[in-house]
Amino acid sequence: MEEKSALDPQIVGFACSFCTFKASEMAGSLRMKYPDGVRIVQVPCSSRVDPAFVIKSIFDGADAVFVAGCHPGDCHFIKGNYFTRRKMAALKEMLDAFSMKEKLRLFWVSAAEARRFVQKVTAMYDGIKEAAHADAGKRN
Amino acid sequence: MQTQAKEIREGALEKGLNRFLGDEGCLVFGFEGGPEGVRHRMFKGTIDGHLLFNPCFDVNGALYLRRLFSKGAKIVLMLRPCEIRSYVELVKLTQVEPEGIIAVSVDCPGTVSSKEKVADLPADGPGLAAYFKAEDKMRPACRTCRERRGVVGDAGVRIAADGSMWACSYTEKGDAFLGLIEGDAAAAVPEMLLAEAAPKGGHFHTDMAAFTKDFAPCIMCKNCRDVCPVCYCIDCLFNGDEYLPKGDALLNKVLRTGQGAMPQGREVFHLVRMFHVSQSCVGCGACEEACPQSIPLATYFKGISERLQGMFGYMSGRGADEAIPYLTFQEDELHDAED
Amino acid sequence: MKTGIFICHCGHNIKHTVDVRKVRDYFSAFPNVVVSSDYPFVCSEPGQEMIRESIEKEGLQRVIIASCTPSLHDELFKDVLRKSHLNPFLLRRVGIREHCSWVGDDVARNTEKAIRLIRAGLYSAAHYVPLEEKMVEVTKSALIVGGGVSGLSAALFLSNMGMHVYLVEKGPVLGGHVRTLKDIWPIRKDGAAVVGEMEAELREREHVEIFTSTTVTNFEGAFGNYRATLHTPEGDREVTAGGCIVAIGFSPFDATAKPELAYGKDGRVMTTVDFEQRADSLSLPAKPRVAILHCIGSRDEQVGRPYCSRVCCVNALRTAEAVRQRYEGSYVECFYMDVRAHPRGGEEFFEETQEKGALFTRGNVAEIVPGPKGLLVRGEDTLLGELFEREFDLAVLSVGMSPPADSAAVASLMKITLDKDRFFLEAHVKLRPYDTAVKGIFIAGTCSGPKDMEEAINHGRASGVKLYGFLSAGFAVVDPFVAVVDVKRCSGCRMCERACVAKAIKFDEAARVVRVEEAACMGCGLCNSTCPSSSIGLRGYIDSALDDEIAALVEAV
Repeated sequence: MEEKSALDPQIVGFACSFCTFKASEMAGSLRMKYPDGVRIVQVPCSSRVDPAFVIKSIFDGADAVFVAGCHPGDCHFIKGNYFTRRKMAALKEMLDAFSMKEKLRLFWVSAAEARRFVQKVTAMYDGIKEAAHADAGKRN
Repeated sequence: MQTQAKEIREGALEKGLNRFLGDEGCLVFGFEGGPEGVRHRMFKGTIDGHLLFNPCFDVNGALYLRRLFSKGAKIVLMLRPCEIRSYVELVKLTQVEPEGIIAVSVDCPGTVSSKEKVADLPADGPGLAAYFKAEDKMRPACRTCRERRGVVGDAGVRIAADGSMWACSYTEKGDAFLGLIEGDAAAAVPEMLLAEAAPKGGHFHTDMAAFTKDFAPCIMCKNCRDVCPVCYCIDCLFNGDEYLPKGDALLNKVLRTGQGAMPQGREVFHLVRMFHVSQSCVGCGACEEACPQSIPLATYFKGISERLQGMFGYMSGRGADEAIPYLTFQEDELHDAED
Repeated sequence: MKTGIFICHCGHNIKHTVDVRKVRDYFSAFPNVVVSSDYPFVCSEPGQEMIRESIEKEGLQRVIIASCTPSLHDELFKDVLRKSHLNPFLLRRVGIREHCSWVGDDVARNTEKAIRLIRAGLYSAAHYVPLEEKMVEVTKSALIVGGGVSGLSAALFLSNMGMHVYLVEKGPVLGGHVRTLKDIWPIRKDGAAVVGEMEAELREREHVEIFTSTTVTNFEGAFGNYRATLHTPEGDREVTAGGCIVAIGFSPFDATAKPELAYGKDGRVMTTVDFEQRADSLSLPAKPRVAILHCIGSRDEQVGRPYCSRVCCVNALRTAEAVRQRYEGSYVECFYMDVRAHPRGGEEFFEETQEKGALFTRGNVAEIVPGPKGLLVRGEDTLLGELFEREFDLAVLSVGMSPPADSAAVASLMKITLDKDRFFLEAHVKLRPYDTAVKGIFIAGTCSGPKDMEEAINHGRASGVKLYGFLSAGFAVVDPFVAVVDVKRCSGCRMCERACVAKAIKFDEAARVVRVEEAACMGCGLCNSTCPSSSIGLRGYIDSALDDEIAALVEAV
């Protein structure tokens, strides 16, 4: 993996059709603004997200990845997001072992929470950008 | 399950196993000594040449049990704890039919790499334990072994501190194994030579720079995957054009992305495989043993799997009824992982 | 694989921050893209015609439509493909409005993002294969949960259309809150009469089963064939319904949450709900002084009710009128923030109430202090800009509508969602106010948000109309996005079987592989991500398609 400047972060996000993707649609309807470096892949359920997708995203060049779905207990497919949480928590543990923990975020956004969606992705984007600026500062 | 134990007196094990092998369709899967050293063997008819210990690690024997589905044969496994643990994981993954198999784990004082050609290794348990007192004599994977004791599977063969040998049963099948050995069950078991099973090794932590450097020599031969006992997929994800394209698919990818460093996908292959085996890896180090480029695979795979198993309080191969962590959940857990 | 890309301007909604011409030209250079064009409104008739012509003329095998979010106009665009004899699942929608043009301001960067998103669709669609939509027979029956006026209204409509109706009410009688209302404005009838009429008509209908003192304890199945367990006083009863309408009403705001108003501590403080019951039996002194407080439990961040409850201003006016009518010489003062008498005739009603002698003071009441001679009501008159403190014999709190107590439990049972205020969430605020995210489950009445009786009755009927529309054909079309096993690659480890939430995967002992029961499969894809070799894949979302999407989003433009 080449050293890339994250000053203009590229974020790949996996959003479930019934909750997070709906919230992102609503964010659009409400004309809420968030960084264009955030790009969404729609999946039916957050449990569709294979850890291999996350690893591939990072090695294809994404600065970070998020996996977002319905709040646990409210999954449209009843229990899918419980499994998502297990796998992503384990994947985060693995990334942490490689000092890459901040490259994967896991959060829950329900269909009504357009504002929360925007807040989460903006905070993630800003955090990565700030960290990259701090790194660049240290190197100079 | 009450653990039952019997002392194994001189010759009793051989006598018992030979009696077992006298029946049709019975086999013992264990180790055999010969002029070229100690190797795995499927014993049929007679137990001649059998050795309890193989201090020279070449492969994980559970590899040979994969896709063994016939219910006809009766097999007693007499293998190292890491091999028995791999066997237990394979049973959980429906890759071995356990009905006719009795899994016996033998105390393991440690092993050296088969690539090292070490001469004059002791053949007996106490002798090996003494030899491996200096931990730098054993393979890195053995140095950080989480379970050297024969306490997994259906039964175990254990070395006591006073040099005597004991057979312990942990399940009904283990009782059947105990039944092969002459003598009565003992009321109590003496202190064992290998007493503790405290996890060795620390909290695995590294970074991408170190990882990239260590895996730079990788030639993508996939030996590590092929010898891993728990890498059971009959057609691996990495066989196709998805991740590691060849030929026209490779050409398309390079022309499209400009990513031309070869061989492609080294990091992704190992990281994805690390995640896939994370809950079944027993840390046997067969991968590192088979690597032609001497990449410290065991350090990585063992380190990652121990962290990922530890976070769920899980240990691969410890119990046949323990659910694989990714197939279960609790409604209220892992909130630290949520952002 | 001949692909056509159609980029919508959506008037100026996409065009204003995405350079659609640049996007069009970018894709023209791709080897497989034989058509790359842009158009003002692709959803319009001429727009659809343009796409159809392209498909037929160029022999397109894949169609990419870059426009509004994929969930909009789904059937419309699939029909365009059907009419051109192309399988509708060879269409890929790319959202460049809600997910691009509307959420960013920088034209250059938005254009690049649009290119990435469309490229992701292009690469992904290359893996699509023709899929067959499944037809399932549906049960022409409806389960209506909640026997208030919106539930009754839905039941009346659906039974009129010949459907079998199961009406389930938790309480012992039908009618919900309306039953308790007296002299409802503007119809000037008692709620009991309104409910009585609806109930009587419903009970005369055939194929209507009414359950009172009954709850729904289990709910499963899919659209067209839901199976519910009703816990009735006579025991459990299983019913099958093609669809369901949730109409469980609201809870009046609990005024004890505002302790400064002394509700629950002093009997002289009551809510409009209490007043409704006791208006004729209050023991008030002669010429009573009555305070009426608007917006109790509404427009109030402090108690977590920031919304307006829509009906309480009219309720306050009704209360003021009722006091003035019953008590000669009474002093009635209403404390308001705004008077939102929004229905037709409401403004006139407000004028009349003032003419009948009710006074209106603009300002919130800060506290009510009970005393031996009366209630001390303290607040600020915001028009005069001064504090006030006046004594009253009775204070009536016009309470707002809170979500029903069972909203979380019912939402969990049926896997539908609640909004931020814990009312049921509709699929789309403007375009689909009666649907939920789950096909076949609708909402009606106040459980989806405050509304008055007329609106609730209309809402109930509208939900009934929608449900009927879905079921009237006798069959439903089900998405083919279910899991499928490549038996050559399946190693029979059964991990997917153990993970499957719908229990739709079974192990074939003889072949030592797993198989999917398509009817039971929900299409979540958990099996796909659980399988280490992806031998089981989710149609429409297979690994290769998603892998290429990821690559397309990140590769340089």
